Amino acid sequence: MRLTNQEAFEKYASEAQERWTSKFGGDRWVINVGISECSKAKGALDTWSNLQLHLDNSGLDYELHQVGCAGWCFAEPFIEVFAPDSPGIVFQNVVTDLVPELVQAFKTGDFPVEHAMGVRGDESFKGIAPLNEHPFLKGQHRLLFKRAGEIDPDSIEEYIANGGYAGFVKALLQMTPEEIVHEVKESNVRGRGGAGFPAGIKWESGRRTQAWPKYVVANSHEGEPNVFKDRRLIESDPHLVLEGLMIACVALETPHGYNYIGGEHVLALARFQHAVDQAYELGLLGDNVLGTGKSFHMRVRSGGGAYICGEGSALMYAIMGERGQPRTKPPRSVEEGVWRRPTVLNNTETYAAVPSIINNGGSWYASIGTEQSKGTKLVTIQGPVARIGVAEVDMGYSLRSLIEDIYGGAKEGYTLKGIQMGGVSAGPLRMDQLDVGIDFESLEEVGAMLGSGGFVAFDESICAVDFARYLTQFNRYESCAKCTPCRLGNKALLEIVDKVRNGQSPNEVAALIEATSENIIDLSLCGLGQVAPMPLLGMMKAFPDEFEAHFRDGTCPQGQCPVSQPKLRLEPVAAD
Amino acid sequence: MAHGAPASEIDLQPLRTILEDRYNPENYQDSLELIVQACQEAQHLYGYVPKAATEAIAEHLGVSTNRIFGLLTFYADFLTDEPGEHTMLLCHGTACYVGGSQKLVDHLDLRYDVTSGKTTRDGTLTVQIVNGCLGVCDLAPVAQLDHHDYCGHLTVESFEGLMDTLRSESKAATVEDSDETD
Repeated sequence: MRLTNQEAFEKYASEAQERWTSKFGGDRWVINVGISECSKAKGALDTWSNLQLHLDNSGLDYELHQVGCAGWCFAEPFIEVFAPDSPGIVFQNVVTDLVPELVQAFKTGDFPVEHAMGVRGDESFKGIAPLNEHPFLKGQHRLLFKRAGEIDPDSIEEYIANGGYAGFVKALLQMTPEEIVHEVKESNVRGRGGAGFPAGIKWESGRRTQAWPKYVVANSHEGEPNVFKDRRLIESDPHLVLEGLMIACVALETPHGYNYIGGEHVLALARFQHAVDQAYELGLLGDNVLGTGKSFHMRVRSGGGAYICGEGSALMYAIMGERGQPRTKPPRSVEEGVWRRPTVLNNTETYAAVPSIINNGGSWYASIGTEQSKGTKLVTIQGPVARIGVAEVDMGYSLRSLIEDIYGGAKEGYTLKGIQMGGVSAGPLRMDQLDVGIDFESLEEVGAMLGSGGFVAFDESICAVDFARYLTQFNRYESCAKCTPCRLGNKALLEIVDKVRNGQSPNEVAALIEATSENIIDLSLCGLGQVAPMPLLGMMKAFPDEFEAHFRDGTCPQGQCPVSQPKLRLEPVAAD
Repeated sequence: MAHGAPASEIDLQPLRTILEDRYNPENYQDSLELIVQACQEAQHLYGYVPKAATEAIAEHLGVSTNRIFGLLTFYADFLTDEPGEHTMLLCHGTACYVGGSQKLVDHLDLRYDVTSGKTTRDGTLTVQIVNGCLGVCDLAPVAQLDHHDYCGHLTVESFEGLMDTLRSESKAATVEDSDETD
């Protein structure tokens, strides 16, 4: 079906809404199973087929649906059960072995409290507390993740039934491109990839450039070793990102949109491509969209596993089928980007915020967050904490509260030592430094960095020197080798750290590290090199005693570095 | 998904069909944009990107094989050598590091002389160390075997157990021509 005008879209939307509300009424059991990359890894597909088997045998009248991931990785695989005349109940860690027990209980009208995570709505139900009061969700403010885990990511109809594409239709039919840019500017939404550049200003300069064609590109590369927010967002609600991109196309008056997704995000790639296909089918993409005479086209491009391709100019070279190596700036990408044409490039999360800005107005969005950092931020945390997952909090939310309340503090048997901030581009914060807000300015003040919102908790058993070596090694490996300071400087830095780890610190090693770092920071061409030594310098600042022990005594207090290992013996593979 | 098809047995027909179905560039610009994805299709089909496949892609898209090799050697996802019987993506993201993946990386290097992209000497396993993140941090340290099975909370011991299983499977498969397993 192809929608040819606004009335047709509105008719489709209201029908979709009706179908959505009638889905949960009646005498049928509706069961949603969260299927995403992380739940698949934990056996969600087995849960799915076992549910099917047992529900078939139980004689219950049921429907099984796929939904995306809701950010609660710790609770995967999860199912949500809508019994007749009951609110939705989320059950956590429903591994396939648990299915028979659960189905048996459902048959007798019983909902096992011990496996339940919570119930939708504000009131308790049969002893199960509301989901919103679950410690993981209580402090969160879900704007982008609003639909995640509730709708089928492969269904454009369910997205539209829940208010989807209303922002695109409004932008296309009721607003001038200038008005769209004005709203985005007023919202002051800033680049979520880490740089924090205001998106509205970028869009405005994109409009001002007089060269055609222009391109709109989403950066969903997400190659950092500790972030998975964009991937989960696309896996759970691909149309939200697509809608944001399409609104940017309307604002820039260009038909050309791209989404560059990292090649390792297999499911996200497939779901986004599917979303694009559905939008074409419905006539939201293509030529003469909704009878306006305007065209919008979207291309999905995938990367090949190079971290550097998350850098703006490298990403554009990657799209153009070249080795993804950055170039000097200016010209900036809004002047010369993909195919040397004006290109507006934003992070996936930035685009995902746009539909709600158009629907509710820029000033509404600007009322969320702090003075200078607006809106909500998706954050992910990894390491030994009680609950791992993607959380969405207001900018300025306390980091301590995030770690201790939402993520539940240290996992049993672990004592946290610090939090590595800003991916691989900044230093860590010690546990006594956590009383700081999560926003661009506050974190910069304490010498950390918001980055793309990936935090890694590490415990007392981790040696700061070894961890710093890991982070330096990552940057060295991922250096694209185009400019010498980054290619050779990081290698030199790694060699120094390796000597330290082996208990053979050269004289004045701290000064040597600082001087080498300074050269790399000052002389490198792109953002990767300019921040590559930061984790090492940050670690040195945060844990000076540990570094001192390595430098002076040649010992590793944590016993992790080679200096304290028993002599390694080589054992060749036994021939058989 | 086939793994480790020897170079002489590469059947290019499936690749050609995919290329003809879905890779139809309108101009040279489009051709360039499609190279990486076309190579991913080839890797998906054969487990690596054989030389014959790059030639087929070059011919279909109208680009040079040099350019394709330039990309294959830059992007870490691609294998240009024939992989072993199994392929493992070993996650070495920060969460996995905190969980102890460095021990696995060192173990692979010391015991099997295997670094990223290389194959064990008996041809059982090719390891690709993923510097990014597999995104299943709840299972850290984690590896993905043959692109669908996840092995979570890996230790050196559980990795050795996995290797034993893989080796005994391959031995069972080649029991008849046992002369070849030296």
